[in-house]
Amino acid sequence: MIARVEVHPGRYHDSVRLMQASKALQNVEGVTDALVAMATELNLSLLADMGFDLDAVADAGPNDLVLALRAENEGTIATAHQVLNDALTHKAAPSGGLDAPDPKTVGSAAAVADANIVLLSVPGEHAFVEAMEALESGRHVMIFSDNVPIEQEIILKTYGADHDLLVMGPDCGTTIVNGIGLGFANAVQPGSVSMVGASGTGIQQMCALLDDAGVGVRHALGTGSRDLSEDVRAASTLQALEALEEDPATDLIVVISKPPADAVAEKVRQAAAACSKPVVITFMGETTLEEGAGEVLAALGKPAAEYGTWPAANDDHRPGFVRGLFSGGTLSSEAQFVAAPVLGEIGSHEGDEGNTFIDYGDDKYTQGRAHPMIDQTVRLERLAAATQDELVGVILMDVVLGYGADADPAAELAPLIEAAVAAGAAVVVSLCGTRGDPQGRDAQAEALNQAGASVFLSNAAAAREAARLATARTSA
Amino acid sequence: MSDLSHLLDGEPIVATAGTDMLAESIEQQGAEVIRSDWRPPEPGTEAALAALAADGRNKEANTTAVERLLAVRPQLVDVRVARDVFRDMTARTFFHAGPPLTWDRASGPMRGAIIGAMIYEGLADGPEDAEAKAARGEIELSPCHHHGAVGPMAGVTSPSMPVAVVADGAGDGVAYSTLNEGLGKVLRYGAFAPEAIDRLHWMDAVLGPVLSAVLESRGPIDLQSLIAQALQMGDDGHNRNRAVTSLFLRELGGALVDGADAPVDQRAEVFRFINGNDHFMLNLVMAAGKLGSDAASGVPASSLVTVMARNGTDFGIRLSGTEDEWFVAPAPPVDGLYLGSFTEEDASPDIGDSTITETVGLGGFAMAAAPAIVGFVGGTAAGAVRRTLAMYEITLAEHPMYQIPMLEFRGTPVGIDAARVVRTGVKPQINTGIAGKAPGTGMVGAGLVEAPMECFAQAVRALAVTLD
Amino acid sequence: MTARAVHARTTPVPIRVPAVASLALKHLFSSGDLSASVLGASSHAVWLLAGGDVVVVSTRDATRLPNGVEVAARSEACLFDSIAHGASVVVGSRAIEFDSLVVDLVRWWEPRPALPGASIDDVASAIRGLPHSVSGIDSGPLRSALAAGSRGHLLDASAGLLGRGPGLTPEGDDVLAGALAAIRTLGTTLGSRPALAMLDASETALVDAANNRTTTFSAALIRCAARGEVAAPAGTFLRALAGRGDIGSTHRDLLRVGHTSGPALAAGIVLGAQALIELQTTPNGGVQ
Repeated sequence: MIARVEVHPGRYHDSVRLMQASKALQNVEGVTDALVAMATELNLSLLADMGFDLDAVADAGPNDLVLALRAENEGTIATAHQVLNDALTHKAAPSGGLDAPDPKTVGSAAAVADANIVLLSVPGEHAFVEAMEALESGRHVMIFSDNVPIEQEIILKTYGADHDLLVMGPDCGTTIVNGIGLGFANAVQPGSVSMVGASGTGIQQMCALLDDAGVGVRHALGTGSRDLSEDVRAASTLQALEALEEDPATDLIVVISKPPADAVAEKVRQAAAACSKPVVITFMGETTLEEGAGEVLAALGKPAAEYGTWPAANDDHRPGFVRGLFSGGTLSSEAQFVAAPVLGEIGSHEGDEGNTFIDYGDDKYTQGRAHPMIDQTVRLERLAAATQDELVGVILMDVVLGYGADADPAAELAPLIEAAVAAGAAVVVSLCGTRGDPQGRDAQAEALNQAGASVFLSNAAAAREAARLATARTSA
Repeated sequence: MSDLSHLLDGEPIVATAGTDMLAESIEQQGAEVIRSDWRPPEPGTEAALAALAADGRNKEANTTAVERLLAVRPQLVDVRVARDVFRDMTARTFFHAGPPLTWDRASGPMRGAIIGAMIYEGLADGPEDAEAKAARGEIELSPCHHHGAVGPMAGVTSPSMPVAVVADGAGDGVAYSTLNEGLGKVLRYGAFAPEAIDRLHWMDAVLGPVLSAVLESRGPIDLQSLIAQALQMGDDGHNRNRAVTSLFLRELGGALVDGADAPVDQRAEVFRFINGNDHFMLNLVMAAGKLGSDAASGVPASSLVTVMARNGTDFGIRLSGTEDEWFVAPAPPVDGLYLGSFTEEDASPDIGDSTITETVGLGGFAMAAAPAIVGFVGGTAAGAVRRTLAMYEITLAEHPMYQIPMLEFRGTPVGIDAARVVRTGVKPQINTGIAGKAPGTGMVGAGLVEAPMECFAQAVRALAVTLD
Repeated sequence: MTARAVHARTTPVPIRVPAVASLALKHLFSSGDLSASVLGASSHAVWLLAGGDVVVVSTRDATRLPNGVEVAARSEACLFDSIAHGASVVVGSRAIEFDSLVVDLVRWWEPRPALPGASIDDVASAIRGLPHSVSGIDSGPLRSALAAGSRGHLLDASAGLLGRGPGLTPEGDDVLAGALAAIRTLGTTLGSRPALAMLDASETALVDAANNRTTTFSAALIRCAARGEVAAPAGTFLRALAGRGDIGSTHRDLLRVGHTSGPALAAGIVLGAQALIELQTTPNGGVQ
């Protein structure tokens, strides 16, 4: 048993708080007697009554704090000090009940409910400061923003790797953690397939295909569009792969990206090979998401899937080129990859002659307006224009559903699709959505189909159909 | 091996900054999201903020600086004559509040105080003589802050004045301040009438020596403890000092009555003087703040604000990482209530070193502890609480000793981070008295003022340069 | 003309709140509308009887149960204030409709914890020092029954525990539930075939016994436990025992559940884990 009397000069606390602190100390295991009080005459005589030696407090006055303890050992005394500290300091906590101002930074917002992920969509030039604060306070960060300098991305990912924190982004549009989607994401059924993707829409399409085949998804970790570049060298992809390998809730991992530089692709393949779980790598541009989904099904021992299709009632249409009006680059690129062997060269710019597939999510079309997944205005205009353009025979469009996307895209599209079909064009829609999506996937498909479009849940299938329609009519 | 179990094992709880659509999507899925009220930082500071964020030293340096600020144990140890204490003070050197200033730019109250001090020191026959001499540059002006000192309002400190000596019980630092004259026609508000001068003479002849004798007799007075208690008695440490002054008088107590080596009638005068001046302790609270401020200065890469001060023309700040460099902007007008028939027309721009209190977690940063002054500065009690809560966004720590009862004894927000000010747009807020612009008018009102953003923008840019 | 005044009543628009439901309840939400009634309500939860199943609609600050639907709101929001015992409720395929509250099912959660692969030695050191009983409940017979892999003794021991102790979930039930859940989940990850075989052989009888001997609510939780479906804090504790997560803090979080439930569940889990270790290491362990 050790008796300890300590004086802490200049530490003032009111008597109620000190009594509560004394009580807390008495409850510490191994403490038999405890008193913490201001060194007033009364309190000092209490100390004497408790049998403590008053030598240490000879010079103490009423403005000094005295701690007296009888404890089993030094370890108990250390615990007692900690308990005392906690009892006398109030940790940063929201001042409950009072009208507190809103948090101004992600640091203070995250502290309100101990968030584990910070999601940033501030303008790109401001994202870095917020992201560093998130990481420094021990939280993972998803950067939806683009236009973040690559040097900053590297600094963030280096810090993240050193601290077991994942940096998802910049330019990360989709992440799913335990079935909850951040950014643009589809409602998924619970499952044990997880993904790592540098393309948000790529993740979305894979989720949609697997969902249609009855396969659920656990996590889909977005890494940002530049993660597999030579500068960033797959930092987040590799970190995510390792984590999913360790995750008991994941049985199979899918990696999705456009084809990276050779050295980086090799790193990813090696990391995948080192996993004990099956890893399906889909580099779009070498293969399609549909093929990747097929590999997943095979690895799970499931039969190959026939993805949902709503064929157009009428197969007859005017001859002409394919005009692709896409809301994002990923599905546009995949469609080009699928269709080019059949159609020949496909242009990517408005004004190109012949078959053209255009990405309306590109910066040039989104100045001063929202992304086409949220605001379809530009695409609707282009759809009307394509209807009028006699050189166009087939119109191919993607419609992406899910959280964050427009609440009823079919409603806006239907009248224009009807007009296009009435004018003789064929309309093919690549509908990216899952059964659980808030828009109602099947209702959207049916509405688009009713308007005259043929609808495909697989983007690759839609592209094949568009190519078939264009060449069939030409050769007729 | 990477452990992301903290990310993957539970349902995400998300904090957002930016478009509300993303937060709404998370809510639609029944998951938890906290939004921040994010806005872009002060234009022109983006690159500096990014440089500070990228440099790991800033965060560590701030931790070190605020620890040093909070580690001081200010004790009043003596009262001595200014010329004996300040090495750089000559017969014709006057210190003043705020950043560096020249006579030609000085405001009414500052000029009045300089004139008054010249008369007090016998350097001029009267006001016109003093003014002429000052205009010719016969008096050297230097900020109190450059000499380890602080002064309220005009803060003019001249060789014969008694100054409080506040030493650090936990280190080597020392800070100084003049003694508070009281309200009314006093030097610090720019009064130079005979009554103001006479009072200054009494202070150096009686007040200073008696206090020195009392301290000799009873030993140093722990100022930190008095301030901590006073915050729980309705003081804020800047605009309301009645409780802390009362506690101080009790500390002088026994030795003042009997024990100090000074004539009994003088001891009685000193008692009555302090007893009648609710703001007597302000100067000592300021010196205690200066002690912490100086201790925190000089930590490379730290964006901690060590000084906020006004000279009646400019508002100036200093950062720990840029040490003695001043960053100034025009002093803003005070949003306040006026006494009697005074109006904004009569007000001088913001003046005084008393904003050192806000730098160390008092004053505007402890307003929620002093709802009583809120009516005086024109607000509501709920507003006072809200304003204090807003300050947590821009500070680095919660004070371990200065606690606010109505916030469940939460420590006051302390350690202003200039980078966070510039980033969030939240400006440090200050409770202050308002001086009349015509010299000698005295106090015309009191109110709230926010430190100018320009100072912090300049400071952050300068700090970023030092990182290279 | 009657003297009674007739009021024109406007039905207020119901409040809607999104919710996440346990996959264990999927069968209830897959076919048309089902009538249900309210067994009871508090600020934290509403207990429903729907097609013979007990469903708990609870707030975010209450414990997430394997037969539960968790709404995206805290108890301070007082969402359940107007819900009375006996009130009728419609359980649709995507929503649960009360008079003035509609709970929208937007997501599912998996009540069976995903455990990493572990070894018997890992689990043995994980449970070292953790309590495996609660005072007032004699869990000795349960432990011996499980360690022997005996179906008969298990049913006897369960009979002695079911309904024992006060409360909505009697302590004896919670100990049994914890043990069954440990056998099912840790047993699966350890590949303990005798233990799983014993549980498979006993499951139906155990559930029958629970239905007869204890509260409907508690019987539902026993049924879930036998399948490895547990309250969220129990799931994180089991995962920590298997090597993923901090044992100390997950154990403490579980102890805080309910009044007596938490400690009893925790003790039952540890007891079940001990039995798995004994069963694995005893040469003659097997189903009787």
